[in-house]
Amino acid sequence: MLRTMILIASLALAGGSLPVNAATKAAPHATAPAHVVHAIVIDKMQYGPIPTDVHAGDIIEWVNHDIFEHSATARDGRFDVDLKPGATVRMTAVAGTTAFFCKFHPGMTGTLVVK
Amino acid sequence: MNKPLFAIAVALGIASVAAVHAQAPAAVSRAPAINDAQIANIVYTADQIDITAAKQALKKSRNEDVRAFAKEMVRDHAAVNAQALTLVKKLDVTPENNPTSESLSKGAAAELKKLAVLKGAAYDKAYVDNEVAYHKTVNAALSGTLIPAAQNAQLKSLLETGLKLFQEHQMHAEHLARQLH
Repeated sequence: MLRTMILIASLALAGGSLPVNAATKAAPHATAPAHVVHAIVIDKMQYGPIPTDVHAGDIIEWVNHDIFEHSATARDGRFDVDLKPGATVRMTAVAGTTAFFCKFHPGMTGTLVVK
Repeated sequence: MNKPLFAIAVALGIASVAAVHAQAPAAVSRAPAINDAQIANIVYTADQIDITAAKQALKKSRNEDVRAFAKEMVRDHAAVNAQALTLVKKLDVTPENNPTSESLSKGAAAELKKLAVLKGAAYDKAYVDNEVAYHKTVNAALSGTLIPAAQNAQLKSLLETGLKLFQEHQMHAEHLARQLH
């Protein structure tokens, strides 16, 4: 009898606690803004379209489709990402407007606006 | 313009003349006077020339900016040539030696010899000046002759990307030349 009661109590506790845990884990996803991944593709010696709706904390994914080494280098020194041929490198977006260029091919330029 | 570079300009001029001639008898034949196999060879030769010059610079120069530029030339031109070789294999085309590529090689050898005797700042200045002039010449040939004459779309695309790259190199060399003068 005692064993049965302990088993029922355990099941009740387990059953009661699972949804709570699930809700606790789900809560941050429901309330905090999701960190969106924005890709910027380099191809044929130029940066592709620069995403416009970027928020601080989002992920910027630099993708180098070229056969040449490039970089995404902020003019204000905020970031300097080396991109070997075929490389994909991610960084976290920080609020602000940043002009960037390729340090190997300075004619390649762009501006990233992060809200 | 110095003599070796003049020879290179003349060599690339041959290609230009060939292209002009190719347009003239268009009614009779649409085949260009310069074919893709020859273009591939000219581009490969032009890249190789710049790689060799850059390797010489890496042996001779102690100027960090000049060395960084030379490393960039080796890296970028080698990438173009690797792509060009992959493409000619894929297309089953054998690069053809031709008067333009032969003249290019001859002119470049003379330039290397001339640069070999220079030292220090005099060498740096001469190397960078030659890089400015060389890229100008090659870019003019690419835009005026080689790209319009290329028949294969993939080769044309590689040449177009190459032109953008070499225009960057020209700008970089011009910037460096201003620093050294």
